[in-house]
Amino acid sequence: MTLLLDIATSAAILFIVATGLLTIFGVLKIINFAHGAWLTVGAYCAVAVGQAGLNPWLALPVAFIAGSVLGLLTERFIVRPLYSRPLDAILATWGLGIVIGQLITLGFGRDVQFTANLIPGTMDILGTSYSAYRIFALVAAVVLGLGFSLLMEGTRLGLSARAVIMNETLARGLGLDTAKIRTVTFMIGTGLAGLAGVLLTPLTSVDPTMGVAWLVGSFMLVMVAGQSFGALALACLLLGGAQVIVSTYISPILGGVTVAVLAAVILRISPKGFARA
Amino acid sequence: MDEMTELRTAKLALEGVSSGYGNVEIIKDLTLDIRPGEVFALMGKNGMGKTTLLKTIMGLLPLRQGRILLDADPAGKLGPKDMVRARVAYAPQDQPLFQDLTIRDNLRLALPSDKALAEGLEHVYGHFPFLKERLGQRAGTLSGGEQKMLIIARALMTRPSLLLIDEISEGLQPTVIDRIASALKDERESRGTTILIIEQNLSFVLGIADRWAVLKLGVIDDAGQVGPDTQAQIIEHLSI
Repeated sequence: MTLLLDIATSAAILFIVATGLLTIFGVLKIINFAHGAWLTVGAYCAVAVGQAGLNPWLALPVAFIAGSVLGLLTERFIVRPLYSRPLDAILATWGLGIVIGQLITLGFGRDVQFTANLIPGTMDILGTSYSAYRIFALVAAVVLGLGFSLLMEGTRLGLSARAVIMNETLARGLGLDTAKIRTVTFMIGTGLAGLAGVLLTPLTSVDPTMGVAWLVGSFMLVMVAGQSFGALALACLLLGGAQVIVSTYISPILGGVTVAVLAAVILRISPKGFARA
Repeated sequence: MDEMTELRTAKLALEGVSSGYGNVEIIKDLTLDIRPGEVFALMGKNGMGKTTLLKTIMGLLPLRQGRILLDADPAGKLGPKDMVRARVAYAPQDQPLFQDLTIRDNLRLALPSDKALAEGLEHVYGHFPFLKERLGQRAGTLSGGEQKMLIIARALMTRPSLLLIDEISEGLQPTVIDRIASALKDERESRGTTILIIEQNLSFVLGIADRWAVLKLGVIDDAGQVGPDTQAQIIEHLSI
């Protein structure tokens, strides 16, 4: 039972972390390599809220807003001129990630920081005592997935975003403000990265480079998922599950590279990954 | 009417228009006026710049030189969003539908918000009743003819004052062509919609058009009123 819960919650955490990256990749067709940095910004929002003696839950909206506002500036001044040069956009966002990491180091130092657990303790799941926070992470991932489905399927913004994903030229021809849709999508993506950073803090230590490892895993998952959130959920479940099994039964070190290795194998066999589009 | 008066009273006037892609100039110093409520047929062999011209009018391609006037107002620097606001609709030839979206969502996307959706849908049901029963169907699962009718329906959702249509009849059976021709005639007669249509099917387009022009290498090669000899005249231009 513990193994099943570990698989489910690990998949949930991977999904939370990768959602922002997939959001941006789906609409803008660029990989935001500053994703790890936005994640770190979110985590440090939790640190800052904790240091200020505020309610730790407040870190969630603070991180989302901080991520969104920084995303707005990044899209406007760095990413927008590079939409037609996706490789340059990767380099630019990678460089931005390094700069953000250094700025965080300047502000908070290199030391590892810890934050309060949002939901401490354990809970009983079918006779198994399990981390309450990891269960919360599982619920958060489901809520995030459903919320995103609702946003994409049930709102005008979602419809417009899907139209841009499918055929941007046609969307422009129908009068859709594709530049605005791109900006809002980028803001949502970076806001979600900030949110993910806060949600990670009870599970991991916080330091200026914490986002790099998560970026690599998210990147591989997004490559496997293509542009589909359903495929991302499946990729997180399968690859995250494999990571837990390898970590538990073989070696935690090998478990750490399982997602990347399996993603590479899947993409070698099926270049489109799990996505049908 | 002198040339300046024609430009001032035209629904759409192009004056010395040039545009293209990269270093290649496709449309070269083109001048044309289309009167309010008129159906204007633009023809030409493949690669002569017909689609490029529509994209330039719609603001999808930048205007390099010249002026575009819409109801006598400068429109050469307007983007597609502004053109749609000015009640210009575009029915493109290439990848014209969101295949994975439903008919309803394809139609919704023609409108800036859902406020006028019910009204827009009622309007297009009048022309294409089959849409009403199949709103939830994915556009990609429609037959070729149904897809073409959906393209026209989407363009009519905003009840445009100017409609730009790019080769709508390609590969269609005569009954579908008749249905589309009937819808376009009705729009023009009931609402005074001006239509600029690119077409290869002469019997279809000359059945609805008032005037015509043949585009050759980005310039107007010949033009005139539609009359009994028009088809033969145009065939001469289009023959290889």
